[in-house]
Amino acid sequence: MYTTRLYIASLLALCLACSGPSQKQNTPEQAATKTIAAKSVNLVPATAEEILHAIKNANTNVVLVNAWATFCIPCREEFPDMMRLYDTYKDRGLKLVLVSGDFEDQAPKARQFLAKQGVDFVSYIKKGKDMAFINGLDPRWSGALPATWVYDAKGQVHHFWEGKATYEMFEQKVLDVLNNTANPPSRDPS
Amino acid sequence: MRKFRFPILLAILGLVFTAGFTVAGNKTLDGPLSLGETAPKATVKMANIDGRELSIADVKGEHGTLVMFSCNSCPWVVAWEDRIASLGNAYQEKGFGVIVINANDTEQVAEDGLVQMKKRAEERGFNFPYVVDATSNVARAFGATRTPEVFLFNKQGKLVYNGAIDDDARNPGKVEAHYLKDALESILAGKPVSTAQTKALGCTIKFRPKS
Repeated sequence: MYTTRLYIASLLALCLACSGPSQKQNTPEQAATKTIAAKSVNLVPATAEEILHAIKNANTNVVLVNAWATFCIPCREEFPDMMRLYDTYKDRGLKLVLVSGDFEDQAPKARQFLAKQGVDFVSYIKKGKDMAFINGLDPRWSGALPATWVYDAKGQVHHFWEGKATYEMFEQKVLDVLNNTANPPSRDPS
Repeated sequence: MRKFRFPILLAILGLVFTAGFTVAGNKTLDGPLSLGETAPKATVKMANIDGRELSIADVKGEHGTLVMFSCNSCPWVVAWEDRIASLGNAYQEKGFGVIVINANDTEQVAEDGLVQMKKRAEERGFNFPYVVDATSNVARAFGATRTPEVFLFNKQGKLVYNGAIDDDARNPGKVEAHYLKDALESILAGKPVSTAQTKALGCTIKFRPKS
């Protein structure tokens, strides 16, 4: 099952990758109504180390990492803004690493929520005990949700905050990294 | 002239960078109260569910004082709530001062009003004060970030434990480390607290705007 899901996800990712540049940008309204089937959501249980590995190997210009949970109200409130940001900046190399802090038995709810938000890329759910997870991701993080980080192409974290953000704030932090970090990763010219 | 301006420019850049780095979200990253510090805002009176006005100093116990930032609305609080009630009741009996503080802005979370707090305390059988931090300034002074978050002070009023109740909110049966209980027992036994700072996922405190 797991490998099938991975396979489907990779196929999806491939399709997206080839169709990406030619696609027209979504308007916010379209983005908000874009949903996918819950069963096709790829939500992978992961330790902090595995998530950091994914961040550092994202091979893109900017990575926004967001720790959230289905029953965290401010997390739910800011989520559509984050997805709108993703739709606007994915062509400039924005990737989202979404990390659910939901309890393990809440994974189906997390999947449903991600589906409604149109998350068609792999995302993660906390594996193991809280403290190792929190300190592993960032010792500055108190464990409060939501928490957000913005990483550059080299895997260096530039911004970190706890609490709900607005679209403008997400955008400002992402643009700061996009516009101010030198040496974005080399791209395949094809 | 140029060489005089350069350090100023650097300083400004530094300030901008620091500001951008630390004051990004709802809170600055000052961090919580340090171990060994005393409770700030300890004499600020807060409305309790029983109609009294109580401060942290008012509830000070013979062995120490347990201050917990909590609320009604947070699922992590709900998951831990039976343990909050049983630990709070048991250790109040054993001579600790216990006070649970709700600092959430009711404009943002209506469920955190005093009426709802009273109801919740009755349902869960809290025998200890559950008070309203009406400005959220007590929580700010502690550097509390989330609910639930514990600050435990010893007999001398020094902070000896800060963090979570235990290491598994969802499954009481799977708890491996009883952080708070162990810290309370260490105080009673006159021993240092072995794990003095812990973390757990929780809800951000919905701070009232600064006044």
